Amino acid sequence: MKRLLIIALAVATVATGGCRRRTTEAEAYKDAVPPPEEPMIRAVATPGRHGGRFVLGQTIGPKSFNGMMATETSSTDITNLLFTTLVAFDNASQKFGPELAKSWEVAPDGMTWTFHLRKGAKASDGHPITAEDVLFAFDVAQDPVLHPYVQDSLRVGDEKFKVSAPDPYTVVINTVKPNSALLDILCVGGLVIMPKHTLESAFKDGSFASAYNVGTPPDKLVTTGAWRLGQYTPGEKVVLTRNPYYYGFDAQKQRLPYLNELTFLLVPDQDAADLKFRSGELDGLDNVKPENYKWYEEHQRDGTFTLYDLGPANNAYFFWFNLNKVQSPLPGEKLPAGKKVGDTFTDPVKYAWFNDVRFRRAVSMAVDRDAMISSVFFGHAKKNFSLDTPGNTEWFFPDLPRYDYNPVEAKRLFASMGWKDSNGDGVLEDTHGNPITFTMKTNADNIIRVGMANFVKDDLAKVGIKVILTPIDFNTLITNLRSDLQYDSILLGLQNSVPPTPGNGQNVWRSSGESHEWFIKQHKPSTPEEARMDQLMNEILTTQDIAAQKKAYREMQTIVSEQAWMIWLPVLEIKLPVSNRFGNVQPSIMAHRLLWNIERLYVKPRES
Amino acid sequence: MRTYVLRRVLQTIPLLFGISLITFLLLQLAPGDFLNQMAENPGISAETIEAMRLRFGLDQPWYIQYGIYLKNVILHFDFGESFARHQPVFEVLQDGFNNTLILAGAAAVITWGLAIPLGVLAAVRQHSWVDRTLSLVSFVWLSIPEILAALLLLMLAARTGWFPVGGMRSLDYDDLDALGQFLDILHHLALPALVVGLIPLASRMRQMRGSLLDVLRLDYVTTARAKGLSERVVITKHALRNALNPMITLFGYTLGALVSGSFIVEIIFSWPGLGRITLDAILQQDQYLVMGAVLMASLVLIIGNLIADLLLAVADPRISYD
Repeated sequence: MKRLLIIALAVATVATGGCRRRTTEAEAYKDAVPPPEEPMIRAVATPGRHGGRFVLGQTIGPKSFNGMMATETSSTDITNLLFTTLVAFDNASQKFGPELAKSWEVAPDGMTWTFHLRKGAKASDGHPITAEDVLFAFDVAQDPVLHPYVQDSLRVGDEKFKVSAPDPYTVVINTVKPNSALLDILCVGGLVIMPKHTLESAFKDGSFASAYNVGTPPDKLVTTGAWRLGQYTPGEKVVLTRNPYYYGFDAQKQRLPYLNELTFLLVPDQDAADLKFRSGELDGLDNVKPENYKWYEEHQRDGTFTLYDLGPANNAYFFWFNLNKVQSPLPGEKLPAGKKVGDTFTDPVKYAWFNDVRFRRAVSMAVDRDAMISSVFFGHAKKNFSLDTPGNTEWFFPDLPRYDYNPVEAKRLFASMGWKDSNGDGVLEDTHGNPITFTMKTNADNIIRVGMANFVKDDLAKVGIKVILTPIDFNTLITNLRSDLQYDSILLGLQNSVPPTPGNGQNVWRSSGESHEWFIKQHKPSTPEEARMDQLMNEILTTQDIAAQKKAYREMQTIVSEQAWMIWLPVLEIKLPVSNRFGNVQPSIMAHRLLWNIERLYVKPRES
Repeated sequence: MRTYVLRRVLQTIPLLFGISLITFLLLQLAPGDFLNQMAENPGISAETIEAMRLRFGLDQPWYIQYGIYLKNVILHFDFGESFARHQPVFEVLQDGFNNTLILAGAAAVITWGLAIPLGVLAAVRQHSWVDRTLSLVSFVWLSIPEILAALLLLMLAARTGWFPVGGMRSLDYDDLDALGQFLDILHHLALPALVVGLIPLASRMRQMRGSLLDVLRLDYVTTARAKGLSERVVITKHALRNALNPMITLFGYTLGALVSGSFIVEIIFSWPGLGRITLDAILQQDQYLVMGAVLMASLVLIIGNLIADLLLAVADPRISYD
């Protein structure tokens, strides 16, 4: 009897699966809150209507709703929607625009910036957002104990930016030195404005880091952005609902966002997200494996979704050689065991090869990128020879010098260095008779990187260089790369920050940068070329003239290309499917690919 | 009996201590730590990471970290905070634990609800075609790895749309009435519970069958039959009760394995249980969260085994622990 009951229940559940109540498709929304004195009018391609829901998959759940302290994208994808910033970055035009600050100006000294805040802006509990909240954001961001990651962008050396508020709607930021890149860190991904009135006590009693954690009840989690938290069920979903007080409107005076709800459905991995999109449970994917592009291309004819072709991604793959040298220790540092100042971290014999620009160029010319594209990327990639990719409309230069596939020229260069294969084993020897061989490390869990490294190995074998491939654990790789510097070469990818500006690339391009991969954290530039790059970076930061900035950046990128410190590899082309039920869909290669304009998405009326 | 229980409870203390020490050591042996994940991000400076290392106490040698952990656990019953979530460990684990129990419970109902009647059927009809078919089917299922079974069923769900593709609740869950909510969870539960439940089915069924066959050979069963009792009464009233005895012990032991037994299936079916949380924590090297999850799973296992031993004493008057 019991068995029968179980079977009956199972049948009943299968039966009910199909006929559940559909929620509030475009249920009328009544905007009960009067508009602020100075609303923000957002340009929208098509004016939408209120209602509906967009469902996106996320592979890892949020770890915190504290926008200031969150570091990984699973949390910041959400906090970027919950908390506003002073300025907005438009992924489509790639320009800055007003957000909480309705306007701003820079004094002729290049370092005194005045921001005029929007009057009548309110947090999700109706409390006004004023200069007090901006000052609070700076207090938190510059706190030495909390040390949010944005802190390092808000100072020059040890000197913090000075911030003051002459009146409740004006904020003056003094950047100590001229800094044309200030807006880069006041938009999305930079300093978030969190409500002072709910967080000040936590900041004062030292518990700010755990304030707004994922256990916070939604009604206690006051937000300043277009959205607020509706519900969070750990391991299942995060639901954002509109912030009824948000100051953004369309030209028809309809309050944004149009959607009632934005749901992040937590899925175990990319494949599960694919399944869920195909079964209609998700409305869009922000990431698709290139081997699946074909399926989506073929099935978009059904008319339920469109596969948007966004072109090359905003991140580049490359490998480089270890040119790090032991520097005189800073206070509190020790010399690495058994090394003295000026020693190389890699074998000095190999260092001599790596340090020769002819070697680096020849290696770059030995790599057959077309073969890599058709196999590792299933044909969905483009050759690219800089960290900036074609989708970056402001700072990408397509005509930089490049060292593309040319094995004949590569062999000629090696010969010109006096290298030849004297013992006939297929591997070249240098002038001292050392066989040319080095190891290449990459993280073993990334199939694309390991695949590319295999191609590099085979291509270099054809020109007489033996590469020993060592895919290793990601954490070990990071230790090799950042602390013990034990490697010959590493293959990695680097994601460009948003906005992808020179100011945000300082960590990579400055010789003192932590991501200046081939020789990190130089105390002083080790080559004249790197000294010139530092100088160019300073020029970019001191001028407000965009043309002058571009000229300097182009010169810097030309140096990087000619020196071939980074051997560039193909860039994946991004294609994303999004349901056709929504209007104003405009995916971008820059983060967040789907959500950057989510407040402007709306559910299209059903065609009759 | 009471001294026995007390002794067993006291024994768990050094056991848990040992488990925590081994887990902590293993975590320390893994390359890097929680903060290494951030080092690749060019937007996060080395100083930020250093500041966090100080804040989390990761700059200390492992024995000091472990000492502080132990002290907090013993003195304040404080199991630490998750690095990534800034939340007390057990707050993070609580929901996952409940969801895992739901899955494990449903699986147990499937296993035992099928194993006992089918085992009895196979024993009563020994060597018949029913018996043979049952053993064939159960052994085929036993030899399918659980990960493959889970993936196959997930594919079935995606192709046919009869079942949801993973998850625990549908998006509209909150708009449903109580019965609707119950059915919704049941609908999501069906496939993962089937996978977890059917795996031990083969062995449980064989054990039930063997156990009943043993009893059926005994003299008192012959006596009962000789008395002229109907076969149904002989089996249900006399034989089965005795044959169930070893099954009770087995049931107790499976109780303990319930929580850890469904981790893989949970991950494949995106069931929001302990498995998912533990895997994330291990990948992220969120060390106190891993410690909490391991201790929790161990504790359930220990309690399960204790219950198994006690059940046996309750069921069988011949066994006593004093």
